Amino acid sequence: MTSAPLSAGDLRAERIRLRLRGWVDFARRFARRRDGVAGVVVLLFFTLLALFPTVLVGPLQTATTAPGLPLEPPSLEFPLGTDDLGRSMLNLVVHGARISMVIGLLATVVTVLLGAVIGIASGYLGGRTDTVLMRITDFFLVLPTFVLALILAPIILDLIGSEGVIFGIPSTLVVIVVVIGVTSWASTARIIRSQALSVKERMFVARARVIGGSGAHIMWRHIMPNVLNLIVANTVLVFAGAILTETTLSFIGLGDPLLPSWGVILNSAQTSGAPGLGAWWYFVPPSVCIVLVVLAFTLVGGALDDVLNPRMRARR
Amino acid sequence: MGSRYLARKIFQAILTIAFIVLLNFVLFRMMPGSPDRVLARNLPEAARAELRSRWGLDKPLIPDQLVAYVAATARGDLGASFKFNGRTVVEVLSERIWPTIILFGLGELIAIVVGLSLGAYSGWRRGGPIDYVGNGFSLVLYSMPYFVIGMILLLVFATGLGWFPTSGMFSLGHRFDSFPEQVADFAWHLFLPLMTVAIGLIGQYSILMRSSIIDTLTEDYVTTARAKGLTDGRILRSHALPNARLPAVTLIAINLGYVIAGAITVEVVFNWPGIGTLTVIALNARDYPMLQGIFLLLSISVVLANFAADLVYGYLDPRVRT
Repeated sequence: MTSAPLSAGDLRAERIRLRLRGWVDFARRFARRRDGVAGVVVLLFFTLLALFPTVLVGPLQTATTAPGLPLEPPSLEFPLGTDDLGRSMLNLVVHGARISMVIGLLATVVTVLLGAVIGIASGYLGGRTDTVLMRITDFFLVLPTFVLALILAPIILDLIGSEGVIFGIPSTLVVIVVVIGVTSWASTARIIRSQALSVKERMFVARARVIGGSGAHIMWRHIMPNVLNLIVANTVLVFAGAILTETTLSFIGLGDPLLPSWGVILNSAQTSGAPGLGAWWYFVPPSVCIVLVVLAFTLVGGALDDVLNPRMRARR
Repeated sequence: MGSRYLARKIFQAILTIAFIVLLNFVLFRMMPGSPDRVLARNLPEAARAELRSRWGLDKPLIPDQLVAYVAATARGDLGASFKFNGRTVVEVLSERIWPTIILFGLGELIAIVVGLSLGAYSGWRRGGPIDYVGNGFSLVLYSMPYFVIGMILLLVFATGLGWFPTSGMFSLGHRFDSFPEQVADFAWHLFLPLMTVAIGLIGQYSILMRSSIIDTLTEDYVTTARAKGLTDGRILRSHALPNARLPAVTLIAINLGYVIAGAITVEVVFNWPGIGTLTVIALNARDYPMLQGIFLLLSISVVLANFAADLVYGYLDPRVRT
């Protein structure tokens, strides 16, 4: 069989073609999971709310710009009623989507980054590094991390003050993000380490080492791409957890009242006694949003895990 | 049970508790300046210096302060609360712990029985109507924070229908003529928070047990049992369930940390006078000694529960008893 030598351009085209085929194949398999697709639709909807809250419902209302009376039930003017300050619940919930999703996203980035770095380093380097890192990981797995988050948040807030701004983000928000990240990376690290351990034994890693690749290079170029599938599926599940944790922390009063995430809204519903007053419209809309988003992430995460990690698929 | 397994588990638990105590020390020494700045904010410098030396804050952090802290903790002395004037942390905690233990002990019990049965049944009849409905419900419950369940129950059954009280543990200002009457009042107040905890947990436990059962059903020993001609019920009871129980035990123990997060919020919704409401009071007042005590209490409870789960696991699974 004779074949013309491939030029660099041909090679690049071939690589793009292969990658494209991979994506199409992935999309086709994912589309077969109906629960995953439903989850994606829900998430797209909330992403839209989070991206354009002002276009959809106008600027975020405050105590001074509240248009209605306190605790008005749903009406034509206020489709979801008003809160105890007379703000439209629709306005609050849509803006809450942005705040909850942004905190969830940032906290997920911190969590997955920490988990991935620790997991890959631990799995690849092995030996004493592995032992020490995994001891710390196990410690965080046993610890009730929510309680740790609960006491870390006020300490850090007292430490840096709650009025400051870090990288253009209010410091209260940064603290919540960091606290969630620092307390929830452990299970990600465990999952990724176990995969890194098996990737490390593959032939291409040995080859890379033989031609003199440094540890950092091998971890970044060879181990990381091969645990990426796990990282992606895990990220989606971490996102769900981060939103739940943020909601719970805000609910017990660690949120920023000026940045009403869904949890902060639920906190003010609770402190104003809405359930006891029968003002269901105050807490049902944000609750429904939380449940929908978390459920959607869980479904998408499960579907992704099935599609991306085929070895698990055989079992289910 | 093998003594080596036991010894290893005891050693791990002790090590973890030592780490927790150390973390507690480090965390609360991170506070701005030193504790005397919070406590003695408005005092002149001389008086503050005197307080510092009385509290031992002028000594070096390591080893003097650390040793003093560890010794005090070991004696069960967690200091005095800022918020509850003059009372010690241990005093307040020991008064608040019983409502929480009753609420969560009973809630866990109900959830374990109902959740595990539901999960086992759905997994066994995978794809059947019960599985379909049960799994859907479990997934929704799983995505729902505990306090949302609580607020809905409160709205419907307390505010709306008026069947149950909206808050507290006993009717206020009421004189009880007899002990049974008091117990009845207590149970009446307990019902809704208890249901909240149970419902919240049932979702998690049923999902967990369902996937655990599904995993065992593909195992060879189940095929063998089927080939022997055993009835379905017999296979489930004597072959699938005992094995599916194992991961459930571990996961229930691991879950306990999350359950505590739920505990705190459920108590807030129903104003249940336990550790959860105490946590929120302490948070709002920035009562650091109290928060420190709560952290210590809750984390050590979780470690001990994990230890207990390891023992149960060792008892249920002969393979690990070496």
